[in-house]
Amino acid sequence: MSLYRIENLAKRYRSGEVETLALRGVDLTIEEGEFTAVAGPSGSGKSTLLHLMGALDAPSAGEVYLNGTRIDKLGKRAAARMRLENLGFVFQAYNLIPVLTALENAAFVLELRGVGRREREARARQALDDLDMAGYADRRPNQLSGGQQQRVAVARALAAEPKIILADEPTANLDSETGHALIELMRHLNREHGVTFVFSTHDPRLLDSVDRIVRLEDGRVAGEETRVSA
Amino acid sequence: MPVAVIFLAWRNLWRQRRRSLTSLGAVAFVVCLSLLYYSIGGAAVNSMYRNLTEGAGQIQLHVADYREVRDVSAGLLRNAAAITEEVRAQAAGASVVGVLDVPGLLIHGERSRAVAVSGRDWPAPLSAAYLRTNPIEGSFVRAGDPTGIVLGRGLARALGAGIGDEVVLYAPGSEGFGAGSFTVIGLVDVLDPVAAARTALLSLAAAQAVAADDAVSRIEVHYPEIRRMQDDVASTETATRLRAALPALSVETWRELSPTLVRILDSLRPVMAIVSVIFFVLAGLLVVNSIYLGMVERIHEFGVLMSLGASGRRVMGLITLESVLLCGAGAALGLAIGLPLVGLMGRGFTIPGLEQYYASFNMDPVFYASIHPSEVLFAVLFALGTGVLAALWPASIASRLEPVEAMRFTA
Repeated sequence: MSLYRIENLAKRYRSGEVETLALRGVDLTIEEGEFTAVAGPSGSGKSTLLHLMGALDAPSAGEVYLNGTRIDKLGKRAAARMRLENLGFVFQAYNLIPVLTALENAAFVLELRGVGRREREARARQALDDLDMAGYADRRPNQLSGGQQQRVAVARALAAEPKIILADEPTANLDSETGHALIELMRHLNREHGVTFVFSTHDPRLLDSVDRIVRLEDGRVAGEETRVSA
Repeated sequence: MPVAVIFLAWRNLWRQRRRSLTSLGAVAFVVCLSLLYYSIGGAAVNSMYRNLTEGAGQIQLHVADYREVRDVSAGLLRNAAAITEEVRAQAAGASVVGVLDVPGLLIHGERSRAVAVSGRDWPAPLSAAYLRTNPIEGSFVRAGDPTGIVLGRGLARALGAGIGDEVVLYAPGSEGFGAGSFTVIGLVDVLDPVAAARTALLSLAAAQAVAADDAVSRIEVHYPEIRRMQDDVASTETATRLRAALPALSVETWRELSPTLVRILDSLRPVMAIVSVIFFVLAGLLVVNSIYLGMVERIHEFGVLMSLGASGRRVMGLITLESVLLCGAGAALGLAIGLPLVGLMGRGFTIPGLEQYYASFNMDPVFYASIHPSEVLFAVLFALGTGVLAALWPASIASRLEPVEAMRFTA
């Protein structure tokens, strides 16, 4: 069974008289352990697709299944619970909580899950260590560079050991070298820990190390490319 | 509530330090103000309590159904010495005073006046309290003095008597000698002109010799060291013991003797609580403003929290916790400032401008602030309640945010 199964997914936005079709019938499956990039230009529907996969928004049509369970019709509380238990998110703008240290940020999802302090900190430290951020555990986001903040964001997602990490343009605010390093790190985590990653990008230079590329154009899947891992 | 969440809420408050401190200060001010308000209200209550009990005692014993008795003799407690000893045995630590009130005629030379003779002995604390509000010229009644009499200045003026003059007291219908000769030893200033024209004070022995041997009109039980109404637990306990020991007598506490005043005193606390709630509503508006602005500024962040898996209820709880922490800290600060002030005022204070006014009514112008622990608890609970209520609206808005919309929001 596929980790994700997406069928005929559509999303329509309306602003006054203007209607925008962000997604127009997307079919997609994601297998466990994959390292998948959703690529496409700005406005192609990448972020919308990831939001719908994370049950952060409701589709206008179509269905989204996670581990065989339909998640596009969940109520707000059930959706929050599903995200907490299954998903990790990494955002373009890092979105760390500014008043928390790197360690506390990395432990935050575990805190939401009700994991005890000792275990929470141990797992968050391990996640920071995996991302070479152990030395920055006590720093607050405003004391970290953009690349370091994004690593903490990945650590936050990773520490909770989710089934899948959805990363929406995680490198968009980083310089190319830092962005490339981050993708390599994510790839390493994918290989070492078996974490499934789906990330969106409009930068073709970041696609070298992925297993699979899903190209979106104008809200449709314009093509898919599967690569054999090195 | 996990400690980490409390830390998060606390740190969130300090993101807008000035705004949070303003709200915290407002809550602290209101808590402090409430404590002072309660304690000054308590001082007024204590002042009324003291003025009432210093004169009449905390407990009085009479013959049964004494209010229905019209004949003076029928209203007298016989075997007064034995009863007084029994009362003393039941009311350890109290000043027990027998009082014999007799209507009579006081004669000086060619002049005479109807008087209300009060025969009693005055333990030191009671005479000090009486003389504080009724200044005396000359000397006061001494226990056992068979011939000394103290007159109200108005009565002395009417009789044309002064200190050292001889006066004759005639008590018709009495069971004692029915008359006696006395020397004026002091003149007291009694504010009420009617009372001043009728006041004649004797020792209990002298009054009994004239009017009724070994009898008193009433026995008063005084606890002069009790200055605050809230400290008066002795009255009820002693009255219970006295009722058991002397079942044939009427035993009444000051509450039963002055039911109207008690109703006034008892109604003060609810009135003060209502005014206090108004203070907290005003402070609550500042807290609402602070929490609401903080919520609007962090809508994006709440979107992130929700996308990470925080439920609306969790977000609501976080905002409510911030508000409660803010008000709780304000309450702590208010207590830290207010309680020492109340303690200081509890040693006694006067209100400039009111001293002469009180003195004109022969009332003690010194107030003793007091606050009941339940009022401190009320102030803290009001503050925390304000925190919860102030958070309801912003927390409700935040809890209904859509994660994606919220993450697009920029304040």
